[in-house]
Order: sequence, then C-alpha cells, then structure tokens
Amino acid sequence: MTRLRKDEILKRLQRMDKMPTLPVVLIPLLRYLEQPMENLEVQGVVDLISRDKSLTAQCLQLANSPLFGRQQSVDSIYSAVLALGMQRMCDIAVSCSVLKLVPQGKAHMDPVVFWEHSLGCALLSRRFATKIGFADPGKAYLAALLHDIGIVAFLSVVPREFAQAYEVARAQRIPLHEAETAELGLNHGESGHMVSRQWRLAPDLTAVAGYHHTPQDAPDNRALVALVSLADLLCRMTGLGHGLVEQRQVSLTEEPAFHALLQECPKLHDLDWALLTFELEGYLDEVHRLVTSFYRPQ
Amino acid sequence: MMNSANAPAPAEISPCACDPQLVRIRDLIYQVAGIFQPDNKLLLLQDRCAKRMKMLGMATLYEYYECLTVKPMRQAEITSLLNEITIGETCFFRNQPQLDAIRNVVLPKILEAKSKLPLRHLRIWSAGCSTGEEPYTLSILMLEEMVGRLKGWTFEILATDLNQKSLAHAAEGVYGSYSTRNLTTHFRNKYFNPHGEGLYVLPEVKARVNFNRINLSDDSRMAFIKGIDLIMCCNVLIYFDGASKRRVIQHFYNNLLMHGYLLLGHSESLYGISDDFRLVHLPAATAYVKTEKRRFDVR
Repeated sequence: MTRLRKDEILKRLQRMDKMPTLPVVLIPLLRYLEQPMENLEVQGVVDLISRDKSLTAQCLQLANSPLFGRQQSVDSIYSAVLALGMQRMCDIAVSCSVLKLVPQGKAHMDPVVFWEHSLGCALLSRRFATKIGFADPGKAYLAALLHDIGIVAFLSVVPREFAQAYEVARAQRIPLHEAETAELGLNHGESGHMVSRQWRLAPDLTAVAGYHHTPQDAPDNRALVALVSLADLLCRMTGLGHGLVEQRQVSLTEEPAFHALLQECPKLHDLDWALLTFELEGYLDEVHRLVTSFYRPQ
Repeated sequence: MMNSANAPAPAEISPCACDPQLVRIRDLIYQVAGIFQPDNKLLLLQDRCAKRMKMLGMATLYEYYECLTVKPMRQAEITSLLNEITIGETCFFRNQPQLDAIRNVVLPKILEAKSKLPLRHLRIWSAGCSTGEEPYTLSILMLEEMVGRLKGWTFEILATDLNQKSLAHAAEGVYGSYSTRNLTTHFRNKYFNPHGEGLYVLPEVKARVNFNRINLSDDSRMAFIKGIDLIMCCNVLIYFDGASKRRVIQHFYNNLLMHGYLLLGHSESLYGISDDFRLVHLPAATAYVKTEKRRFDVR
C-alpha cells in the first residue's frame, strides 16, 4: 500500500466531502445548550428530540438506564425530562445523536468499541468533574463525548490508513495516537481540531478534541482539556480503550494534565483515584450493554 | 410552557437505581475496610447482606445498616459481612488482568530497576496466602518466564498466613475442582498431576514457595522480612482496623526494595491509609509503588 503523505491527508480533511454529515438535531441542540441552563425550556428540548423518531427511541433507552440516574421507568421524552432533569436529558439527547456518527459497514473500527470509550469517558468526566468541584460538569460530559471526533474524521477520509495505524497500536500495545502519528504523520487530536472547527463546534469542545493528548499545548480551556485528558487516560487503562490494550504503567498524578487541572481545581489534590477507578469499572457492563443495543439490536 | 426552574435539578450521578441503604452499606464498607463494591456488584452485596440479615433475624437493610454502625456488635458484624463478601474468592489465576499486568508490565519494571545489581534474584511475597493458590499461581507465572524475561534469574516466593490449617493445606498442594476452575488446559497439564478427584501441584512449582506462619501484626517478625520486590496482599487488610492497617503498610514499605510493588485485591484501596505508596494504573489493574522517602520506624 502506498503511504499517503500528511499533506494529502490534511487536504482530504479540509475538503470534508467524505465526512459524515452531522445528525440534523445535533447542531441546534448544541447551540441550544450554549445558553445558560436556567434559560432552557423543557418543551424546546422535547420538541427538538421528538423530531426524530429513532432518536426519541434511543433517548428513552438511555433515560431508562441506571447510568443516567434512573429512579423510575419513563416512557416519553417529556416525562424523562421531568424525572431526570434538563441537564441529564440534554446529555442523553446529544449522546444519542452523536452515536450515529461513526461510519458503519466499511469502518475499520467497531463502532461499539469506539462509542463505549466515548460514552464511558463522558460519564467518567462528569463524575470526575463533580468530585473535584469543576465549574461545569455538563460541559465535561459533552466535551468527553466528542473528544475523539478526530477518529471519526480518519475513519471517513483515510479508512485504510487508519486501519493500519490501529493495527500497529494493537500489535505493539502502544497508545493509538502514537501509532497514528507514526503511520499517518498526524494524530486524531489534530484531525479532531480541524473537523471541530469546520463543523463550527464551540471553542471549548474544539480545544478538547484538539489537545486532549497534548494538554500542555492547549492555548485556552486548559482545565477542561486537562480533565478530559485524564478521564480519557483512565478509561484507556481500565478496559475502555477502543478495543486496544496499552501495555504500560501510568501515574495519573504525574501527568502534565494533572498539574494543569490542579491550578483550577485544588480539590484534585485529595481525590481518591482508586475509588474513581472502581466506580468506572462498575459502569463498564452497562455501557457495553447500552452501546451494543444501539448497534446490534436483538 | 414549563421552564427549567420547575424541573428537578439534575441529580448527582448515581448509576445505581437500587436501595439507598445498600449504597450506604457499600460506602461504609469502603470507609472502614477499603474495599469497594462497584455498581455491577451491588446485587451480590445485597445477596450477602440478605444472608447475614436472615441469620440475625432482621427484615430491612435499614435495620442491618444500624447493626453495622451503632450496635455494640458492629465490629464483629462488619467482619462477618466481609467474610461473606470475600467467600470463595480463592482459586488459581483468580485475577487474570492483574496477573497479566504483573507479567507484562511490573516484572519488566522490576528487572529494569535491578539490572545494575550483581544478584539476579527476585523475592515475591504472598501475604495472607490462605490455602496456597495465589503463591502457586505466582510460581507458575515466574516459571513460565524462566525461558523469557527471567532467563538467567532465580526467584523465590514467600507465602505467609496466620491460619495453620490453611498453611497445612497449602503445603500439601492438593486442590479440588473449585480452586482449579480457572486453570487453562496448558497449565493444568504442565504444572499439575491428577490426584484422586483433584489435582496435585508438581514439585517444581512447590520448590519455589516457602510457607510460613506469620501474623502481619507481629512487629518483631515483620521487621525481619527484607529485600522484597513484590508483595501481593489480597483481601487481607480489609479485616484490620485503621491503626493496625497503617502499621502493616509501614512494615510493607520497609520490607520492599526501593522499586518495590504492592498489589492488593480487586477493588481494594490504600486511600486514607498511606501516602507512602504511589497509585499506578496498569492495563485493567492498579498497583502501589513504593515512593522514595525516609525509612519508617514502626512504633
């Protein structure tokens, strides 16, 4: 296979013609969420979601999962908002709409392992954010859900080359972004940054997509980038690593992201990392069940 | 139209939709024993609590929580519940991700740290070895590496427990189907012989393991264990109170060489017990690494 040069990959990413189109509801939903939570109206969110029947069905499936704090069974988007609250319902709606983004069939990565990582990382980021007193746990959830959007870009524009990088990461048991840099000349942080800008995602979401593997280089939103960077690393070491195993030892408190986040969240200093890890392990089965049910319904 | 002010505030994430008393019991167990029952194990915890409640004639988890916290018998009851939680955990190759991490990440790190030393010898300690499945598993793991990473090295495994009966069983080395349920055919054929209904550990595996009766609270005995590279101590510390646990951990710190590792049982933590070890994440496992600091005197 002739290797594509980095500049050719960049050109393809810029053209966007092979990129998946964003689900219709996602952009208005994300725009809507840019408003302060107290300004959001229940009916507005309900109307947005209800436009799409399959999205509505998937949202109800997530809303009935214990992962989203279900206390009682809900059978309509309206009752789900009432039961779970606006923030949680918006998390669910965005999650369901982005779950449709991974190209299926010809993709060289199982969409199940991709979204298990993203959903697990989103849940963990929100939990992590709450524990350390980060100002906006909802934003942490959203940013983590979309942090690997650069992989979607690779799967869409250079699927064979990405498959090669994935295989190198699998065989050598190294982090995927390192294998991408070696094989493609750029990693999914760089592609994620490009595609987030082209999709006009909010600057903080773009920063996380772009810099979660190099948080020290993030020009802004450093705490959010650092938070998702640590959650991403913890997920990868706890069995949610896109189906890959990184054969190494990681000390989260020695990561550059730790020090960046500590500046904004002093409570991070006393965080019980072991407990956070055990809690994440407790999510794994349910995350797997949910994502599998989306892609391989019985 | 209803606005968000009327909608309930988003609840703090609580992935489990089960009895809040059960979550309180889970949190209490973590607080006093350092072992956490994740959400996917909560049904199991409920089952274990139900067993204890039946014995005590209690009808609700609320009553049982009271029993674990305010009744004079609370300490004894916590121990009984912990016994239920950890019952039947002992078997060969109990925690495969942890064993893979030892073999593929921890062992290379230890060998790298010792590479400049003249003595090519490893010392591993199974502290609280019960009936011997854990130290024999470690012995098998290391024997497998003798043609790989451990070529040219020697190793020994110290296996200690408080219970004389367990140690006698361990020294005998005969195991039934429950203990050996995780053994692959390869390991079963290579390191065991059939023995009646069960399996007998081969002498080459046994020869590397030294069994001793040691109480981890016995300062004088603990102070004499030196030069350890790796300590495995699974589901043992959970039975110690805070002060005793701190003493044992300080001993472990002194027992270990500078690069030494301490591995605990699944979902077991040192949080709030010791800052002298650094938590590290390995693939699907965690470990504690000795950090450089002054030598501790256990008083």
